[in-house]
Amino acid sequence: MKRLILILLTMLSISSCINEEQFDNTPEGNAEALWKIIDQHYCFLDYKAEKIGLDWNEVRGRYMSQVHKNMSSSQLREVLCNMLSELRDGHVNLYTAADVGRYWAWKDDYPRNINDDIRNNYLGNDYRIAGGIRYRILDDNIGYIVYTSFSSGIGEGNIAEVLHYLRLCTGLIIDVRGNGGGQLDYAERLSSHFTNERILVGYRSHKTGPGHSEFSELSAEYLEPSSTVRWQKPAIVLTNRECYSATNTFVRNMLCCPQVKTLGDYTGGGSGMPFTSELPNGWLVRFSACPQYDKHQQHIEFGIPPTIPCELKAEDVAKGKDTLIEAARKLLRE
Amino acid sequence: MSILRYIITLVVSIGTVSVATAQETSDSIHSHAFAVGIGSSHQLDTYLSPQNYSGLQINILRETIRMTRMVQRRISFQSIWQGAFSHSQNASQSATDWGGRISYDALWHYNWTPARNLRLMVGGGAGADAGFLYNSRGGNNPAQARLGADISASIMAIYKFKCLGLPVNIRYQANLPVLGFMFSPQFGQSYYEIGEGHLNNNICFTYPLNAFSLWQQITADIPLGKKFVLRVGYLCDIKQSHINHIKMHDRSHSFMIGFVRHFRLIGKSERDSKALIL
Repeated sequence: MKRLILILLTMLSISSCINEEQFDNTPEGNAEALWKIIDQHYCFLDYKAEKIGLDWNEVRGRYMSQVHKNMSSSQLREVLCNMLSELRDGHVNLYTAADVGRYWAWKDDYPRNINDDIRNNYLGNDYRIAGGIRYRILDDNIGYIVYTSFSSGIGEGNIAEVLHYLRLCTGLIIDVRGNGGGQLDYAERLSSHFTNERILVGYRSHKTGPGHSEFSELSAEYLEPSSTVRWQKPAIVLTNRECYSATNTFVRNMLCCPQVKTLGDYTGGGSGMPFTSELPNGWLVRFSACPQYDKHQQHIEFGIPPTIPCELKAEDVAKGKDTLIEAARKLLRE
Repeated sequence: MSILRYIITLVVSIGTVSVATAQETSDSIHSHAFAVGIGSSHQLDTYLSPQNYSGLQINILRETIRMTRMVQRRISFQSIWQGAFSHSQNASQSATDWGGRISYDALWHYNWTPARNLRLMVGGGAGADAGFLYNSRGGNNPAQARLGADISASIMAIYKFKCLGLPVNIRYQANLPVLGFMFSPQFGQSYYEIGEGHLNNNICFTYPLNAFSLWQQITADIPLGKKFVLRVGYLCDIKQSHINHIKMHDRSHSFMIGFVRHFRLIGKSERDSKALIL
């Protein structure tokens, strides 16, 4: 009996308090807290170590030496944002009252391959609007859809109406240049109108522990065909480096659909579904937590190459033409 | 679907056992207590944030206790419904957690009276709880679901004494879950993925080493008038887990106030009634 009580008491004392290490609300404490959050939760540390030589332990040493107790809040923010920029990830942000720390080189370091004024010329003034989609029929009977943010909602009914209106067109251009993402549901909903059968579009996984390599088995992602109107003719998706996050997933899905090609530049990437966490001083940090892959189980974090590479030419811009739209129209007419 | 099946099976099982016990005990006095309470709440869920949150918790407690005929009328049956709602903030006051939980426990105790004014009770039972914790700042990880069931050990002591001429009952009770299961996402698994049916060991086995929880209550029942019994008490409710590398604690300390009513079914003897009252 005594032994039983002893075992019970030992068990209780071992398990009595479940707590997480709390860092002090000091520059050093906040920097340590941020480093640890990324170290345990960020999902691309191994992948980026391989692709860009990221060494998160080395990053710690380099940036912690810049943190000291007398630094101001803005100085700390600058150091921490620089540390996070080492991840080269547009899904990583540090939200403070004064500013949002961000890494935008994934798009800023590349040509935009879009001119908004010229794109608006193609839409004209009499385009239609269905949910987040703007659309019209171009002069050569090519359907033209512009979707600039997957944060703008779209329903099955919207998409069915759009495709029904464009049903007599020779082909379809879906222009998602500049679409920085939003709701995955909308991206999947739109792409489901371009396949007649259930198709494998990619994989996803998640972290199962704090170690850099602790991941679940890949689980397959399938695209179910829409039960309403489905597009049966050629379609071209226009892409640029600003196609990020949910738009990256949309492009991934569309490339698995028959009769769909992409034209333009690489997408921007952003294949990690972001989670949030916070520091002792209340600053919010967003980071990639759940990676998505293409159907070949390859990372798409740094973007998806286009089927047909194409750049916006300055001479076309001078003429008020969009090189990518014109190239897509030509292909669809053929 | 499998999670749902677990829950339905568990709820039906607990309900069946409780109803069976009610039928078994229909000749005894039923003591019903209802209490509300307010106190402090301390929350941690590393799926949402590594920061500790603290604030207020409101509790609602509905309790029924009665003697059964089992083991020469020495076994009592107790059912406890508890609702808890919490509002807490992080240390920097920049984010809020909203929590809600409802739980049910069915417990059986063996009774004996080592002294004239003292009753000791030892037993156990089964329970289930469901709830949520919502963080106002979360993106794709804004909330955590709570779902679990367990069997627990339980002890109770009731001491009766006179205070200012009133017969006061002081009671202490502690319930310790010893075996159960609970729902938990994996360390970095999104509810989006779970919602699409991609489950990955999300129902986890629990025992005191990975989910030490303890429910304790001290109450004083003070009769005020012939039919009204006032109950005041302190409730210490500690729920913790360390599952799938996610640490969670939900600790509250509340002051409780309510009333107790004793019912004896019509036609039943005084002898049956005395079985319950100390």
